[in-house]
Amino acid sequence: MNCDECKHLIDVFMDNELSEAQAASVRDHLTVCVECSLMCEDLSLILDACSADVVEEVAPPNSQALWCRINNIIETEANPAQPPKPVEEPTRGRFWQLSFAQVAGAVFGVAIISSLLTMVAVQSYNRPPTDDFTTRSTATQTTFERLLSRVGLMTTPQQAREARLKEQHAAIEYWNARVLERRNVWNRATREAFDRNLRVIDESVHDYKMILQQNPDDELSGEMLDAVLTDKMNLLRDFSEL
Amino acid sequence: MFAGIFSVGRFSGSVRTTFLLSVVLLLSAFVIDGAAQKRFSKTYPAGQDVKLQLINRTGTVTVEGWNRPEVSIVASVEAPAANIAPQSLSGLILINLVRDNQGRETGDVNFTIRVPYNSKVDIETLIGNLQVSNVRSGLVRAHISSEGDIVLTNIAAKFVSAENGLGDIVFDGEIHEGGVYRFTSMKGTISLRIPFTSSFKLVATAPSTRNISLGAFASSNLTLVGDGRRITGRFGDGSATVTVTNQRGNIGFYSR
Repeated sequence: MNCDECKHLIDVFMDNELSEAQAASVRDHLTVCVECSLMCEDLSLILDACSADVVEEVAPPNSQALWCRINNIIETEANPAQPPKPVEEPTRGRFWQLSFAQVAGAVFGVAIISSLLTMVAVQSYNRPPTDDFTTRSTATQTTFERLLSRVGLMTTPQQAREARLKEQHAAIEYWNARVLERRNVWNRATREAFDRNLRVIDESVHDYKMILQQNPDDELSGEMLDAVLTDKMNLLRDFSEL
Repeated sequence: MFAGIFSVGRFSGSVRTTFLLSVVLLLSAFVIDGAAQKRFSKTYPAGQDVKLQLINRTGTVTVEGWNRPEVSIVASVEAPAANIAPQSLSGLILINLVRDNQGRETGDVNFTIRVPYNSKVDIETLIGNLQVSNVRSGLVRAHISSEGDIVLTNIAAKFVSAENGLGDIVFDGEIHEGGVYRFTSMKGTISLRIPFTSSFKLVATAPSTRNISLGAFASSNLTLVGDGRRITGRFGDGSATVTVTNQRGNIGFYSR
């Protein structure tokens, strides 16, 4: 009997289902063939284990961790570890090793960021408070301020004045509406006094507006216009509380 | 009684009728007057640092400093009578007739208030005159929303503000070192009578009349700007700040 025949019959031999003649042949071969005899021993051990009375299924202590370990092992085997890179000494003149495109990109980025920051800072610094227009005129503007005004980073004195006037007119309209609601409960003397004062204020407003139309840079008229409009607002507010 | 007297006298019927009518009219006038005017009076004890704050609607307000540690408020109230409800709140005596009579028609209320010399005085009215005298404290403020004169006499305060619409402003007092003094009128005359020894930074503006008379205070440090509409500069070392604005009236400085 050769090894192939033995391997073919070995499992039937282990089950004692061979004829006596075939079993004797297998036994003879196993005595002379180490490889087949080892295989027979292994098979015998497996059969012994399988035929044990109590089969205990031992769960792994932590299946998740086990799977992780298995996965790691698989990955490690799939991507064998690279040898650690030696620590490179900083080389002098590395900057000059950058490509032209990289340098140009960096410079462009820095320029954009600094421009944006400058724009924000200038706008914040130069944004005039609403009551500041009275002290500003084109005559008092510095060259830098004029430049900023031209590029739209700073309001011109005229723009500031117009913005302030707009605010004041809005407030005046509000208080005027309240006065109109209440003036019918005032007595005649109060109504007359109110109207007299309002007339004088309106005359002044008209005068200053005329002056400013002719000479928009007249700081003093701008300041006085602001003052009389504030007076008008206060008059309306005070009388609206009656 | 009158009928009895005249029945036996030498007066004719027409004379008697005229006399009786006159008497009736005179008596009714007294009755009407008594009904129209009421008097309000109240006194509060005052500590060292008291502040009077009064917001009137219409009428004259007179505040005088006196040498007593109390605040005396006397008011004559014309019909329809306004509600007067002063409040004393830890050093502040507050009278707010605008708030207390909102939505009501009221007659004039004329106040005469006496306060300790060193009281702070803050008075306002919508229409009417304001007068403050003999006050030496940190604050004197007089504000008229529309028309009325402001007269501040014998005032020694570090912060003084007088503002009106139509009417004159007179200030007769001291300018304190580091003090702030503001006088603003829409149309009227502003007269300031201050000691020649005062020192202040000045911004005086009379844009419409361009009539600013510095009198004895004229100096080379005070200059005309804006085509004569404003005078600005320093008098003395300029430690106080004096701002005078008269939109459509004159400004005058006088030495005390």
